[in-house]
Amino acid sequence: MTVIRYGVWEGEVIDNRDRRRFEIADVPGFEDFDEFDPGNSVLAFFGGKGFFVFDESADMLEAVQKHIARAAEESCGKCTPCRVGLQVLSQKLMELRQYPKKGKMLDDIQLLADQIKETSLCGLGQTAPVALAALLKHFSDEVLASTSRPSGQGAATYVTAPCIEACPAKVRIPKYIDYIKEGKFTHSVGVVLQKYPMAATCGRVCVRFCELECRRTQVDEAVGIKVLKRFVADKERYVTDSWFSKDLIAAKKPDDLKVAVIGTGPAGISVAYHMLLRGYPVDVFEAMTEPGGMAAVGIPEYRLPKKEILHKEISIIETLGGTITYNQRMGHDFTLQDLKDRGYHAIFLGLGAHRGKTLGIPGEDRSVEGYITGVKFLLYINHYFIDIGLPVDLGEVMVVVGGGNVAMDCARSALRMGVKEVHLVYRRTKSEMPADVEEVEAAEREGVIFHFLSHPTRILHEDGKVTGVELIEMEIGEADASGRRGVHPKEGSAHVLETNFIVPAIGQGVDHTFLTGSETLELDKWGLIPVDGSTMMTDIKGVFAGGDCVSGPATLIEAMSQGERAAEAMDDYLTYGKVKFNPERRMSKLLEGIKKINADGVDVPVQHMYRVEIPELDPEVRKRIFEEVEKPISKEEAIREAERCMRCYRVYSVVTDK
Amino acid sequence: MTKLIGYINGRQVEFDDGKTVLEVARENGHFIPTLCKMGELNHAPATCRVCLAEIERQGNGGRKTVTTCNTPMEANLHVYTRTQNVREKQRLQVELLLADHDQDCATCVRHGDCELQDVAQFVGLQQTRFGNEAFYQSRTRDSSSPAIVRDMTKCIRCFRCVTVCRDVQGVDVLTVVEKGLSTEIGVRDSVFIGGSDCVSCGQCTLVCPVGALAEVQDAEPVVDFLYDPEIFTVFQFAPAVRVALGEEFGLAPGTNVEGELITALRRLGADVVLDTNFTADLVIMEEGTELMSRLKTGGRLPMFTSCSPGWINFMEKNYPEMLEHLSTTKSPQQCFGAIAKSYLAQRMNVAPERMRVISIMPCTAKKGEAGRPEFYHNKQADVDVVLTTREFGRLLRREGIHLPSLQKGSYDNPWMGAYTGAAEIFGTTGGVMEAALRSVYYLAGGKELEQIELQAVRGLDDVRTANIDIPGLGVAKVAVAHGLKAARKIVEQVKNGEAEYHFVEVMTCPGGCICGGGQPKGKKSYHSSKQARQQAIYAIDTDAVIRQSHNNPLIKQLYDNYLGAPNSHLAHKLLHTSYVNRQREIRHTMKEIWEEIS
Repeated sequence: MTVIRYGVWEGEVIDNRDRRRFEIADVPGFEDFDEFDPGNSVLAFFGGKGFFVFDESADMLEAVQKHIARAAEESCGKCTPCRVGLQVLSQKLMELRQYPKKGKMLDDIQLLADQIKETSLCGLGQTAPVALAALLKHFSDEVLASTSRPSGQGAATYVTAPCIEACPAKVRIPKYIDYIKEGKFTHSVGVVLQKYPMAATCGRVCVRFCELECRRTQVDEAVGIKVLKRFVADKERYVTDSWFSKDLIAAKKPDDLKVAVIGTGPAGISVAYHMLLRGYPVDVFEAMTEPGGMAAVGIPEYRLPKKEILHKEISIIETLGGTITYNQRMGHDFTLQDLKDRGYHAIFLGLGAHRGKTLGIPGEDRSVEGYITGVKFLLYINHYFIDIGLPVDLGEVMVVVGGGNVAMDCARSALRMGVKEVHLVYRRTKSEMPADVEEVEAAEREGVIFHFLSHPTRILHEDGKVTGVELIEMEIGEADASGRRGVHPKEGSAHVLETNFIVPAIGQGVDHTFLTGSETLELDKWGLIPVDGSTMMTDIKGVFAGGDCVSGPATLIEAMSQGERAAEAMDDYLTYGKVKFNPERRMSKLLEGIKKINADGVDVPVQHMYRVEIPELDPEVRKRIFEEVEKPISKEEAIREAERCMRCYRVYSVVTDK
Repeated sequence: MTKLIGYINGRQVEFDDGKTVLEVARENGHFIPTLCKMGELNHAPATCRVCLAEIERQGNGGRKTVTTCNTPMEANLHVYTRTQNVREKQRLQVELLLADHDQDCATCVRHGDCELQDVAQFVGLQQTRFGNEAFYQSRTRDSSSPAIVRDMTKCIRCFRCVTVCRDVQGVDVLTVVEKGLSTEIGVRDSVFIGGSDCVSCGQCTLVCPVGALAEVQDAEPVVDFLYDPEIFTVFQFAPAVRVALGEEFGLAPGTNVEGELITALRRLGADVVLDTNFTADLVIMEEGTELMSRLKTGGRLPMFTSCSPGWINFMEKNYPEMLEHLSTTKSPQQCFGAIAKSYLAQRMNVAPERMRVISIMPCTAKKGEAGRPEFYHNKQADVDVVLTTREFGRLLRREGIHLPSLQKGSYDNPWMGAYTGAAEIFGTTGGVMEAALRSVYYLAGGKELEQIELQAVRGLDDVRTANIDIPGLGVAKVAVAHGLKAARKIVEQVKNGEAEYHFVEVMTCPGGCICGGGQPKGKKSYHSSKQARQQAIYAIDTDAVIRQSHNNPLIKQLYDNYLGAPNSHLAHKLLHTSYVNRQREIRHTMKEIWEEIS
């Protein structure tokens, strides 16, 4: 465990230089700071609130100069102190080693550092010189000590923001928002497309980890990051045909270095995209007749139009030279060994989690008419009703069980199919529902009847048809060790709700039929495919996996980010035979450890600018049709919304042994 | 609304919720220097970081330094605007502003009239320690446009130009490019402004606080011509110039200096001094006749006016499919050049090759208009040099002429030396429409319009419409738009078949030529002289003896003795033109985009 020898964080000075190791208390959060990469110690760390030195041999002058130089390079150049000040600072720090009157120069440096810190427009300038200012104020002797000659120590810098860190795919959110401010919409969507091809899809259905961390919430409301992404992706969609071509592929790899991707869901498409951009020949295999995986079957049309949006974005794979073959189900139409025999050197499994979980209660029988699990129900509607146009009769009253987005999707789709009464049964309270608040509210507005603290105990059926469901009320009990309060059934509260249709939407698992008897892939106790978290490789060499089949039912953005990570690892594997160290990911991991001390507030008044309202179809109209509910915002609204972004950029650096 | 209470420099102040610290400080007489802010445009990007003050929130110990332009005033907030810390920080900020600014002030177009110099004075700047040529020498110096010069070594990144171009004009060619020290105001989809969708309106030059955006400087050849005995100089100046030029010499906005201007030109050595208003009357005859002919023969309607070259550029670059809607009549400036070098040259017995036509215009786009190849004959331009009002003011100062102290002169040329009130109102939005209707009414029905002041098309609303019953023609549906944002609205309506007009007047600049991109500019103010200049224009019309173009005796003489009739063969040759599709095809590939995204 590494210890802090000295440092300053949020103005608090730590000085353990005269203490021996056993006299120094361990500080939680730094467990991971021993090594940066194997065999390379972290000597010091610089962030937006100060710095920590773990080893007094750290060359502080060189380190802080690099830190400031990186900030100067990243400055957006709009406000004076950040644009010019950081540049002057960086230069002076460089000259300091040779400069004879060091005291005078240090005064100038201190003056500039304070000016930039206190008067810059955005987070980048406000925080970049904090560590320097603190270092000079409290430990200028350490700076002067390292003025003889550069030590040649290693260093890494990383520029990020709370929203970027919250995003599994690390999309450079403030950057794409900046481009919107400047009216450069193509550039804006270009920033997203560097990470994944499904920008318009993500702009519709993303769960927005980023907005939860947005510092604007401390002023008024989070910036509409998702709606801005949708705006640029939609705006530019009509010209995208000319965007993608094989020109984008930097260096083509040999034809025999073939890559196979199983599944056209978000994970698979992301892998295929990044492998194609890296020059590999990629063949994608899809079990169904249409692409998109869970994004296609698990998300209803009124949230994500399939033809104009999802399919179009997936077609980028073909534009880049990849192939997609449909009706190819692993374990049925081919096996892992077949792929190896056909010459695929790297294989990605993006199988998804499509098998709906059952309630495990009496009367539950998959063969009974009127019983169908959530995802299957959505697939059924998408496929039979929307794609083929077959009439589907769901009866008058339907019961959906579950509190997640799939449950909301089932309930709202049922209304659109003409079901008169849709009941949603959830065993806990409204605020505990895992579904997006917006989804729950939309369902309420459309007329879904909610039964909170309610749970099915038995399914009633006659002559092979569902006739009703027995429900029991739940009570909230004492909090458990983790702080979550349990629920238990209330005595004598059982009652029957008559229905001909019950849809349990309580989660999905991996369909294991992809493994035939001869395959050796081990599954974990939840039936998921275990992988190495940093490389996404399974226990079979050259076979990678990602998305829901690895993590269990999760989000689009997580699947896409795993896809990118897997592609990076596959590229390394096919080039070097092993996966290489990625300093940016490592920096991100370090920041995760110190998230608590790194969080910061907004302590000056900021003009309120309320979040853009997204126009929606009238609930009375939309609840009967599958037309997209959320409508686009205007260019003016988008620019105004973009201007709410406070650009909470922070620069982080580490100094390492080598 | 209840007033809130706060404190500035220890004194209690009352204020309304929603105001910024800067606004409250100013209302209460506390001066805080600013640079990037521009009130009329609601523009406060907070990028210069000069308007600093310290604030202290109740119960939240410690003072913070903030920029006052974007910090909301709060109840019980204490603000300190003049502490030593504030003054030192403001001073250091300006010093940093100058560090990446080319400080070759004496050669700068804004020398002596520069907002950066002003702010340096406000903060008591005494030294510039951090200046470094390397910081700015690689920035763009763009002289590709005939109208606008872009010198990014001077830019202080106030973004006023971006706001004007995007929010006022809706042209949206100016944008931010690069990052870090290389950040500058660039041109959308292009490197140089000459090859871009810029329409040369010059509104950006009116708001630039420094010398980063300015009109192309063309005074030198004028001096050459004036002192060349072989050259015969003919000067014209536009209607809006006379009501604004006085501001260059400290006169009140709206002062009519026509007489002094005539004298000044004679003092400079002009051979003939004339007025663009003469050919404005001529344009009414041609354009009015063209309109009547389109109405009668089922020509392309609505007909759009064609006097404003920025508007022509806008149409050629954005709506090439709609060029047939534009009147083919040349602008008054170009009609002037064509008539001067033919009719006037003949009457005055001067070889056209020896003649140089020099315009003084409120407009930057006129420079580009004069250079259009279709306005050249035998390799000679109809109009040789165009100076903006601002350039002309500078030229007079260079020649030691103090305009306000001159005697008033008047026109004496027997061929082109007269104009009507109708011509003068060309200088304001609505004026061309009003002048045209006055004459079309007469030309169509043979009777003079009784109420010649058409209030329905006057004023400053973005778009104004009217229905005018014209005996012999029927009801004419007309519309007036000024500023290209409003113009785009009308063009889109027409394109989508949502509006049925017969005749539409468009002026590129908000307010019309009175607020042209070449007019005298205010510091930290945008178009603050608009109303005074407009009133002055209408006053000239009111005072005019003749107020309809068709009644200008020298116009009658020109037709009788030379052109024949409006839209005659000769009139077509000299006074009409055509337009070209100049739309650029923009195709970005993601490869290019990714290369730009660093």
